[in-house]
Amino acid sequence: MNNLLSAPARPEAPATERAGRRSRTEIIIVVVVVLAVLAAIVAGLSTPRFATVANAKAIITSASLVGIAALGLTLITIGGSAVSLAISPSVAAVGMIFLSAQSLGLAPALVLAIAGGTLITGLQGAVIGYAAANPVLLTIATSFAIAGLATGISGGETVSPTGTGYDRLNATPGGVALSVYALVGLTLILEWLLRRTAFGRTLYLIGENRRAAWTAGLPVGRTTTVAWLAAGALFAVTAAFTAAFNTSANVNLGGTLTFDAIAAVLAGGTPISGGRGSALRTLAGAVLIAAVSDILLLRGYSTGVQIMVKGLIVLIVVILVHLHAKGRNA
Amino acid sequence: MSPDDDLVRVDRLVKSFGNTRAVRGASFGLAAGEIHALCGHNGAGKSTVVKMLSGQVAPDDGAVLIGGEVVDLRSRQVAQRNGVALVDQELSVVTSLTVAENLILGDLRARWINRPRATGRRLRVLLDSVGLAHVGLDQPLGDLGIGERQLVEIARALGQDARLVILDEPTATLSDVESAYVYEAVRNVAAAGCAVLFVSHRLGEVLGLCDKVTVMRDGAVVATTPVAELTLDSLIVQMLGEAPQRLGRRTTGDVEGVEVLTVSGLSVPGRVRDFSLTLRAGRVYALAGQLGSGASDVLRAIAGLMPAATAELTVDGTAVGLGHPAGAIRAGIAFVSNDRKADGLFLRRPVSWNLLATRLSQVTRLGVLDPRRWSKALAVLLDLCGLDPARAGHAVGSLSGGNQQKVFVGRCLGRDDVRVLLLDDPTRGVDVGGRAAIHALLRDATDRGIAVLFSSTELEELRDLADVVVTMHQGEAVRRHDGDPADTVLLREMTHGAGPALVEERP
Amino acid sequence: MRSRSLRRPETLVPLASVTIMIVAFAMIPAYTDAAIAPFDVYNTFQIFARLGLLALALGLTMIAGEFDLSVVGTYALGGMLAVQAGQEHWVYGLLAAVAAGGVIGLVQGGVIAGLKLPSMPVTLATYITLLGLTSALSGGLTKTYSNPSVTLWVDQTVLTFFSPRSLLTLGLFLLAAVVLAVTRWGRELRAIGGDRRASQVAGVRVGRLIVGTFMLSGMLSALGGSLLSFSLGSANPDPGVQPLIVAAAAALLGGLSLAGGRGNALGLLGGIMAVALLAEIVTVAALPGYVTQLFFAGLLGVIVVIDAPDLHRALLRQRTRLRPERNPASMPITTRELS
Repeated sequence: MNNLLSAPARPEAPATERAGRRSRTEIIIVVVVVLAVLAAIVAGLSTPRFATVANAKAIITSASLVGIAALGLTLITIGGSAVSLAISPSVAAVGMIFLSAQSLGLAPALVLAIAGGTLITGLQGAVIGYAAANPVLLTIATSFAIAGLATGISGGETVSPTGTGYDRLNATPGGVALSVYALVGLTLILEWLLRRTAFGRTLYLIGENRRAAWTAGLPVGRTTTVAWLAAGALFAVTAAFTAAFNTSANVNLGGTLTFDAIAAVLAGGTPISGGRGSALRTLAGAVLIAAVSDILLLRGYSTGVQIMVKGLIVLIVVILVHLHAKGRNA
Repeated sequence: MSPDDDLVRVDRLVKSFGNTRAVRGASFGLAAGEIHALCGHNGAGKSTVVKMLSGQVAPDDGAVLIGGEVVDLRSRQVAQRNGVALVDQELSVVTSLTVAENLILGDLRARWINRPRATGRRLRVLLDSVGLAHVGLDQPLGDLGIGERQLVEIARALGQDARLVILDEPTATLSDVESAYVYEAVRNVAAAGCAVLFVSHRLGEVLGLCDKVTVMRDGAVVATTPVAELTLDSLIVQMLGEAPQRLGRRTTGDVEGVEVLTVSGLSVPGRVRDFSLTLRAGRVYALAGQLGSGASDVLRAIAGLMPAATAELTVDGTAVGLGHPAGAIRAGIAFVSNDRKADGLFLRRPVSWNLLATRLSQVTRLGVLDPRRWSKALAVLLDLCGLDPARAGHAVGSLSGGNQQKVFVGRCLGRDDVRVLLLDDPTRGVDVGGRAAIHALLRDATDRGIAVLFSSTELEELRDLADVVVTMHQGEAVRRHDGDPADTVLLREMTHGAGPALVEERP
Repeated sequence: MRSRSLRRPETLVPLASVTIMIVAFAMIPAYTDAAIAPFDVYNTFQIFARLGLLALALGLTMIAGEFDLSVVGTYALGGMLAVQAGQEHWVYGLLAAVAAGGVIGLVQGGVIAGLKLPSMPVTLATYITLLGLTSALSGGLTKTYSNPSVTLWVDQTVLTFFSPRSLLTLGLFLLAAVVLAVTRWGRELRAIGGDRRASQVAGVRVGRLIVGTFMLSGMLSALGGSLLSFSLGSANPDPGVQPLIVAAAAALLGGLSLAGGRGNALGLLGGIMAVALLAEIVTVAALPGYVTQLFFAGLLGVIVVIDAPDLHRALLRQRTRLRPERNPASMPITTRELS
């Protein structure tokens, strides 16, 4: 039996394993992406006042609030829980907490807001992680619950700040809004977490194949819950900035943030099915949408057209990402 | 008989998947009114022939002739229009519909508006003919047991006025009584002038029911023989080929290691009844059983994947709770599923991630990956499972089946805390080279004192690898073989259960 | 064990929710001083008409195992087109809206079925696109409909309790119920939602069905939006996400499942009536609006958690653990350690 025991693994011919071979779909995808980038550059450069420092600041500032929330959503999406549809009400509720706690000072208010946001979203994550509840439906329910409770507790009134500490969040050190620094810093931290920690690895594995992760004994429930807790903290940061910017908060503070954040994640090329994606991609997605909206705005197109183009970008990226993944596995 | 008399003719069909030639030039014919069996081991190419005949897979070369004309079966609908009805290998009924709705699902004769009274009478007769007289037409299918659902699918195919009815392992999940109804119904359909292609692992029913038997091996047709010229043994010889008793079987049987795992009274409702086994260190145990025999369920239950399972389970004398995979893993039980795509590997992730997925705590410091520990652990594992280190960064999904399985097995080994390794059909879809490598891996594991339990249907694998073989049939263990059982005995027990004929053949 | 049809979720859930709401509705005099007026019933049906077609559109895609988030976008666009194209005659507006809905469904269904994409991200992108398109068409402004006779007609009281609008919606529900129950299309729709692979093997044309379902969903949402615009006498370019959430809640209370394959139009009707009754009770009892939301949240939350698969697994495991061991004496006989 020596021959079997010492049998060397036969190195198979490289041709049998498709690594590095490009299929036709992939070539099409590359062509489409290159053309789109060229078109964007031409459109940008030919638009008056686009390629200026002031405009770049405007773009990144408008991307920053949606971007931070989208970072949180990225964790949820990578972990295979699709999306949260309760981002806007969470942000509204946390914004109200933040402003009404201003009398305690900025730091305690911020801690309170982040704790509140983490708790609200983390609880949902626990139900999804341990019981495998459907995230879309669960967050529809919680969006009602949070909005209802927020309305009930505030009496439907707009909350005004009880102190002035919040205004420091509106600072613009070096001429750039504080939220932009927060976005960049958080993106880097998150990217590091996803790439270099056991938590990040586990999250990708669960997102790719929850059943396999469970069978292999990975901590599916715990990791999912932690991802949602972190997402809740990021929604809370968005809420603090948004509330500080508006200097008041009511149940509509979140606005269309839920869908804007989803759009940013999808436009960054993170598939909704999970297991792939990154914080940097989401940052790119948020900036892409903000830049295109900016070009359209500078060229005098209406808000409607801007929203429509945003939708089309998401649609095209979703299709391209899907074709790309298929071309690889085919 | 000349080929012109055949109602259906399969002419030199060829099909490759990637670089595996699943079917290489298969030809045979079916006459009207004939029940024709298609036999062969797993991987012989039967299923691919069935898929080509039923419009689910397009052949690379060759043709299918029905009624003397070449037909292009490019989809299930086109195949149905050409008179091909199918009972798929996998149960293909919709649980959320009623029995009647399932019976006419996809039926070309179904009108746009349901006519329950007109069709009801026909369906009632159809249902009675497969022994489901006690089942109501308006009952939701989800209320029926697995066997009854299978009978509904069979009734659907038989009721389609087809010229060719294909039944792919129709009785694998059925009891003998249920099977008897199926045989009767199949005979009636054949008597009405339809050709029937009957794929089965149960050789007894093949001999009892069919008129002719085509045996496939390694993607090619070995022979088509009238059943009158066959016996159980000659059929088995055809399926096995002229394989001589190979040397090199391990002879460690006389050394009894310590008890590692004991299972007693393992039951899974509807799947396994009272299964008991003790595994000793350093030995390889096999469960030999076809689809539906419960062999795979035993493994899954021990691995903690079946919440409804009950048993007393101990590892190294310590009781282990069932029903949670993390608990089983903590106890030192590693499980290699037969479905490595669905509950095994992370296909889009690199080899390195897959190998280290369950070992993150050992390659991290305070939750942060330590690149040195990572590459050290990776090198050990790559070496253990004999994979080229250059492949560590490739997505597992891009590897061949054999290498994928090596990654899967490797992930479960190379851990000091593993006491028991369970493998469900470990070499499914793996070529000969990969198979030898995986067998070597398992031998390696036993040398380090691990007890191995695997399920398989392949006689060669059972013979080469296992020290102890337990045959299983319909949810129960049939017999335990500690010696070197004859292939014919194993095959009989796997396909028949414990028949009286076995008594004198026991060693 | 068999034919306990009442215990099936697609019957039980809508029946329970609508019963609870009817009881609560009948008890209105207990918490307000006024008796129930016929107008309260009329108004309930008006709320039903407002959401009914949207929920039906979403429900059909849910039965097929898909989820069409874009219904609210089509709803908004339909309402806007009906007003803008229907200034001369309402028929033109209605035709334009329904045709647009059909085209949107055709494109979406084609992409989803043709490329085998999940429906969530595609319909989300379409939803955003349609909101933008609607807003671009109207310049972001609410457009008024200058044909008051149509507005008066669609909401006039018929048979004390109904209006032409609510009757039309009810009629479409009954039609959908009949179609789902007795046609091949209905059967195959439930089949592809229940088990797509099995349906494919059985010979169902899955791709065509998905495209058809999305077209129907688009047309129904556009029709719902048009009727709403006629009733309000104006079209709002952004209805917000509330209609979508309420429609999804109604569909789930109607016994549908996000996994697909489950449910029927009558159950869906029950779910929407429950939602409409709740909204009316809150209005009559002058309760603050957020109470409705909390009710929905509680109901939905319970349904979602009950449906969670890993919870089932844990419960089954516990039940197996707690079950007393069956006659252990028989074990040595069946151990089959024969050699």
